[in-house]
Amino acid sequence: MGRILIATLPLAGHLYPALAIASKLSRRGHTVAWATPPAGLSSRLLADGQVFPLPLLAEQPPDLDRTQARGFESVRTFFEHYALPMARQTFEALREAVTVFQPDAWLVDHQMVGAAIAARASDRPWATLATSSASIHRVHPTMDAWVADALGQLQTELLPGRPPVERPDFSPHAVIVPSVEALIGERRARFEAAYHFVGPLRDEARADSPFPWSWLQPDRRKILVSLGTVNRDLGSRFFEMICDAMRLLPDVQAILVAPETVAGGAPDNVLVCQQVPQISLLARVDGVLCHAGHNTVCEALAQGVPLIVSPIRHDQPLIAEQVLLAGAGLFLRHGKATASATSALIRQLLEDPGPRSRAAELSVAMRSASGADGAADVIERLLTPGERP
Amino acid sequence: MSARYTDILATVIQKVRDTVNEDWIREYPIGPQTQISRDLEIESIEMVILASSIQRHYGARLSLVDWLSGRSLEDLISLSVGDLVRHIDQALPPDA
Repeated sequence: MGRILIATLPLAGHLYPALAIASKLSRRGHTVAWATPPAGLSSRLLADGQVFPLPLLAEQPPDLDRTQARGFESVRTFFEHYALPMARQTFEALREAVTVFQPDAWLVDHQMVGAAIAARASDRPWATLATSSASIHRVHPTMDAWVADALGQLQTELLPGRPPVERPDFSPHAVIVPSVEALIGERRARFEAAYHFVGPLRDEARADSPFPWSWLQPDRRKILVSLGTVNRDLGSRFFEMICDAMRLLPDVQAILVAPETVAGGAPDNVLVCQQVPQISLLARVDGVLCHAGHNTVCEALAQGVPLIVSPIRHDQPLIAEQVLLAGAGLFLRHGKATASATSALIRQLLEDPGPRSRAAELSVAMRSASGADGAADVIERLLTPGERP
Repeated sequence: MSARYTDILATVIQKVRDTVNEDWIREYPIGPQTQISRDLEIESIEMVILASSIQRHYGARLSLVDWLSGRSLEDLISLSVGDLVRHIDQALPPDA
């Protein structure tokens, strides 16, 4: 039996996929410990093994999530204000965790670059968990070179004496991608790595949040509108526009994952919730309108639900591109969306059989992927030197 | 401003409107200062489609994709309609 150290972020899109793998590993008799900042959802970990709290970012700019940056600018901001400072601030604590816990293998979220470099330094096998499949794509020569340069400097600083690699966040042993190649596509080049496409990672132990199921009317078509937990509280203007669009669609019901303040101006066919049991709800809706967050997209497609993708920044434009190239959704330009254009797009999503049938095909691929068990198998193989991939 | 510059500007603006092809863009004021990413939210595959469509218009006389690949990150972030027009104007042979 092995000891596995999991380094991740206390955010839904990072923690839940890691928890899904961890519960499989625990059930197979392995000992799991966590290295994560003690914030956000990290209280979910109390029952799941030892936790090494990582120092919180002291100088995280308060406006990081409110910046208007998009496109390449948002990627640069993400590295300069988040990923790189976090790597520098957590590196020592991660090396201490190795000394105390003595892991046989690591599982490292791709955004925890400091943990990836610490894993490399520990000379123990490790796997990357690429919680957004966008990071496996080459984006643009200029952007890719900028990232490689920033990560090169970080490696020289944290691990002097070892030659930097282009992608220190990607393990040379295994990169677990919770998506499927049928969605990721071949249009964009990928970084070379030992990929394992395991499909969506569902934490079966995760309890559903309460939901007023009786509000859903059997004779109406329904859409779920979500900008994800990180963007939920930012998009008031967007949600107000959605409410206006829904006034034009009285025969459709919409569930909005939005701040409570939106509820005041919402028409009767809109239900505003701050949290929803997303996977159970996806089984009951006919379409999803979202920011193209990796988890929401994969969870919707796993259930064959087509999407309207309205990416804002970071990896979202690339995930939206995957959906559009796969034919499983329609595009809504986030900052330019009007109520009339959005209502027409929702109508199209509900009536056009194309995206629905492509989503159904992708659901077959998602459901036949190896999932959390497959990811746990990858980590178990790391524990057996002869079988190391 | 040369007649040719004005011509290229009109062509690029038309290519932007055709590529986006949504209601709002028909009335949206577009000029040399308009930024492709910040103002028009054009990115990833749509930028490739826009560049190829401009490329097709001018043919082998310029290589827009190569030129874009060589821009700095700062240049790409703030890339404007005017940047594209200036490049095309300089890249085309004088009598084109």
